[in-house]
Amino acid sequence: MKHRVRKSTSDIIFEIVVVVFMVCFVTITLYPVINTIALSFNDGIDAVRGGIYLWPRKFSLKNYKTVFAMQNIWVGARVTVARTIIATVTSLFANALLAFVVSRKRFLFKSQLSLFWVITMYVNGGMIPIFLLYKNLGLTGTFHVYWIPGMISAFNMLVMRTYMEGIPESLEESAQLDGAGYFTIFKDIVSPLCKPVYATIALFIAVWQWNSWFDAMLYNRMKTEYTTLQYELMKLLSSVMQQSGSAENAKNGAATITPITIRSAVTVATMLPIVCLYPFLQRYFVTGLTIGGVKE
Amino acid sequence: MKLKKVTALLLSFAMMASVLAGCGSQAGTSAPASDGGAATATDGGSSDTASASGEVTDFTMFITMPGSEINDDNEIASLIADKWGVKVKETWLTGQTASEATGTLIAGGEYPDFIDSDEMNLLIDAEALIPLDDYIDQYPEFRDTWFTPEEWDKFRQPDGHIYWINPFGNTMGETKQTTHNDEAFWIQVRVLEWAGYPKIETMDDYFKLLEDYMAANPTMDDGTENMAYTILCEDWRYFCLENAGQFLAGYPNDGSVIVNKSNMTIEDYNTSEDTKLYLKKLNEEYQKGFVDPESFTQTYDEYIAKLSTGRVLGMVDQWWDFAYTVNDSFKQSGLDLKGCNYVPLGLTTKPGMENRWHTYDDTVNQASGIAITTDCKDPDKAFKFLVDCAMDQELHDLRFWGVQGVDYDVDADGLYYRTDEQRQNWADTTYQAAHRCQYSYFPQWHGTSRDGKNANKPEEQPSEFMNDMSAPLKACFDAYGYTTYPQFIGSVVETNGPWFPMYSYSNNFTTETPGGVAWAKMGETKHEWLPKVVMAPDFEKGWSDYMDAYSACKPEDFIGEMQDILDTFK
Amino acid sequence: MARNKNEEKKERKITVKELKRQSFLLIVSFVVVVYGIIFYYLPLTGWIMAFENYKPKKGLLGSTFVGLDKFKFLFGDDVFIKVIRNTFAMGVINLVTTTVMAVLFAILLNEIRRSWIKKPIQTISYLPHFLSWIVVTSILHVSLSPTGIVNDLLLRFGIINQAINFFAFPKYFWPIVAFANCWKETGWNAIIYLSAITAIDPALYEAASIDGADRLQKIRYITFPGIKPTFLILLLMNVGNVLNAGFEVQYLLGNGLVQSVSQTIDIYVLKWGISQNDYSLGTAAGLFKSAVSIAIILIANSIAKKYSDQRLF
Repeated sequence: MKHRVRKSTSDIIFEIVVVVFMVCFVTITLYPVINTIALSFNDGIDAVRGGIYLWPRKFSLKNYKTVFAMQNIWVGARVTVARTIIATVTSLFANALLAFVVSRKRFLFKSQLSLFWVITMYVNGGMIPIFLLYKNLGLTGTFHVYWIPGMISAFNMLVMRTYMEGIPESLEESAQLDGAGYFTIFKDIVSPLCKPVYATIALFIAVWQWNSWFDAMLYNRMKTEYTTLQYELMKLLSSVMQQSGSAENAKNGAATITPITIRSAVTVATMLPIVCLYPFLQRYFVTGLTIGGVKE
Repeated sequence: MKLKKVTALLLSFAMMASVLAGCGSQAGTSAPASDGGAATATDGGSSDTASASGEVTDFTMFITMPGSEINDDNEIASLIADKWGVKVKETWLTGQTASEATGTLIAGGEYPDFIDSDEMNLLIDAEALIPLDDYIDQYPEFRDTWFTPEEWDKFRQPDGHIYWINPFGNTMGETKQTTHNDEAFWIQVRVLEWAGYPKIETMDDYFKLLEDYMAANPTMDDGTENMAYTILCEDWRYFCLENAGQFLAGYPNDGSVIVNKSNMTIEDYNTSEDTKLYLKKLNEEYQKGFVDPESFTQTYDEYIAKLSTGRVLGMVDQWWDFAYTVNDSFKQSGLDLKGCNYVPLGLTTKPGMENRWHTYDDTVNQASGIAITTDCKDPDKAFKFLVDCAMDQELHDLRFWGVQGVDYDVDADGLYYRTDEQRQNWADTTYQAAHRCQYSYFPQWHGTSRDGKNANKPEEQPSEFMNDMSAPLKACFDAYGYTTYPQFIGSVVETNGPWFPMYSYSNNFTTETPGGVAWAKMGETKHEWLPKVVMAPDFEKGWSDYMDAYSACKPEDFIGEMQDILDTFK
Repeated sequence: MARNKNEEKKERKITVKELKRQSFLLIVSFVVVVYGIIFYYLPLTGWIMAFENYKPKKGLLGSTFVGLDKFKFLFGDDVFIKVIRNTFAMGVINLVTTTVMAVLFAILLNEIRRSWIKKPIQTISYLPHFLSWIVVTSILHVSLSPTGIVNDLLLRFGIINQAINFFAFPKYFWPIVAFANCWKETGWNAIIYLSAITAIDPALYEAASIDGADRLQKIRYITFPGIKPTFLILLLMNVGNVLNAGFEVQYLLGNGLVQSVSQTIDIYVLKWGISQNDYSLGTAAGLFKSAVSIAIILIANSIAKKYSDQRLF
């Protein structure tokens, strides 16, 4: 790419198309985000009237104050950070290892093992049997329920497998000739080449963990110490929704927060940490990476 | 090299995580401790007062409704714990249906001490509740004040026991009700003012007035176009379109059916002449362009936004569904001074009919209430607290008015009042979590306090009500000579039958019976067809198509089963 | 390829020597299978529910057995047949549109050379993934309302002469849902493709430039083949999910007028199963969906095997 080739007409047209596409795409994509941010800084009652688009009409920090004044929000944040880190590390490792195993061309049970995992994507025993299982395993009411059950996911595993299959077999063979075992090949040969896909899957797992709240609600409802950030936010949201729709709880002068603005503040509060983390992972799958020049 | 870096990074991450997890679990173990610390501070002082009733017992409660959790160190909760020896940790429904939540509780076999579920039958099946009969008899005063023997009987299950007590809808002494917390045709006071405060009795009068007003005032002062009538149709809120027929025919809100008292039969209002007249009128207005064309597709938020602009002259709705938000918005934007507030009208299809839009009686819903589970650590104390909630005025005031001098003041006549600041605090979410503790699913009263002066609930206090009124609204009340909203409706004052409201039965129908299947299908069909009928270019054709689709649901199965229930009251 | 396959066949004879050589792989597989059985296959005993009238108290084994009654209820209902159609249609439309958009976006983004433009665009693109459906649908609803921006633009450019209430007509509903899905997930779904693109050797592009290929040709002959394995695997996995066309979007965007096209299996189950305390019905519907998914996957996988070198298993 360094030496610039003279642009042909078709390339110029192409570039125009790309620019137009990206401008439209960014506009359309950015709008709901900006709208959410604008609403999150707007007075609740005022927002009820609608018509807020890109900028708050009646500025207020009340929504954020409400969110951050919740008593368990910091406990929840700590648990969420912990579960995100632990689950990302363990789950990434487990999925990568499994992907490595099923991507070995000579592995005897390659296709049976893949099928075994593919099926798990499409079957589901239902909420109550799963609840009973976790209860019998002693997972309910503990922190472990956040990272043990979902550790291996067929989807993530298969994405990684596909990537690993693209790595030239010759690398493995030459390592084996040097006497390397499979674990060494996994650790020293395959993994370094898989950074982009590892980064991608790590991001998926982390975001999934970060956003999870249903497990906290279901398995740790009464355990305040294991509440998660998202569960606390969900509780806030559902109570605010209730407040605006119930005869018993509403009434009284200045209920200045409403579902719309609180919802927006909650969304922004959730989004922000992930957005901050993102650039660190992004470089792995945007900038590109050369696979050691080995050709098959 | 690079891999080493990654490994190091992973390791440090893992360490960080374990440290954090350590923090987490430490916080976990220390949370109750610090909680205890906070409690001991108050406990220290309270140990003398609480000594009579013993230690503070921490109960848990699960309610299958969304609600706001209060902080563990909530101030009023601590005051209550000191004096009455009980602290209740309430947990609310989040992101599940009541039935899912109840189902998982039962499957897990562990219950909180108290429970209030919309699915009580599941809990009875699971033998999760303790019978309350003996406890109730231990407190004869409570038994005799809270419900009449007939009302108690409604709570008796087939095995003869009572398992739960509905905490709502009981009025003590004289009613203080000032709002019409039910359904009505609403109209903006500026329309009534413009017409010289006429008497509006029928649906035809109502739409005539809206049309005339629109002709004379197509826009508001600021140029916003007026809109005569809108209909909210979203999901379960489609009652704004669906059930006006029963009221227009002069029947009370049995919800799913009409009860004809003269021969004790169940009638179907969906097919009644009055409903047809009502839909025909809506169709006519729709064709003339007086009905909001977005009616059947708007969401609740869009509907509220629309009302908040003040441009909608009228609609059918329940007061609690719109008034709190919309009135707040009017107040903020000054539209209340332009007469945008709504007053209710008790319309009928023909002039001179009685109407029953307003329910004066207490509506006791026997289908749900607060119950004590078999896992309860101290059922005696739990039930005693339940009784205290109903019988102890001091506790009641603490729950609903707050702390005297902090949340409300008392004037020379002994009347409670609140300053603006107090009112604002009371409505503030953060303040609520830290200070307010209503135990809102424990027994509570409407009406007049035991002191004979104040309302049990602040929102029913007359001074609070009058304070809130804008000038045009007040002028409207004065012009008609009314002091409360229900007077606008002018419903017949009568006692409803013991079966009232019938919806408390139909709400519990399941697909296990043909009637339940029919009931669900009827709902589905109406969701689709009522809008179509209103929009139909040819009303008669639309109506007859609708009737075909409707009768295919076998409504007779549903009506039959409702009749069986009604027959038990003969 | 052919040579590889033969080789594979030959080597896949189970011999003691080979087992020993692969002991590491076998141990990992064993552990992972045990894990999978516990966490994914054991709960499937819950499927018994589909054949009984499940009552929470009586539990899985104590509830009354009703045979195929629940399935008869489902398939005896005309509405359910319609619901399957809706689910399937929306599933397919969503799959096609979201995949096309994600691939298109990833490829075009890759064509932007300046990373100070590229990175922010990519960051922006995935942000809507974090908005909940209720936020996205409410913005969409307002934009598409008769007084919303879309109608405003269409009127202004004279494309229509009267505002259209898009949500009142069944014909617009599926496209709206597809749009909503693209809006929310394009950038997010593109992440996988972007990471696949990074694996393409830059030398290939350089060689192509020297050969005088223009950018479209480079996309066609280099970028697309590069992401093809990922594309195929994702496609294979997702065709199995066409019956999981969703719940929230349709529920939030639907209304009575369009319910004949908006209801999906999940909505139906909630209405007729869960809200009526009928846990068994939901399980029966779930079982049906699983059966269909697995059947689709088996077929798709064998097609993929035949025409490409990608497969799920």
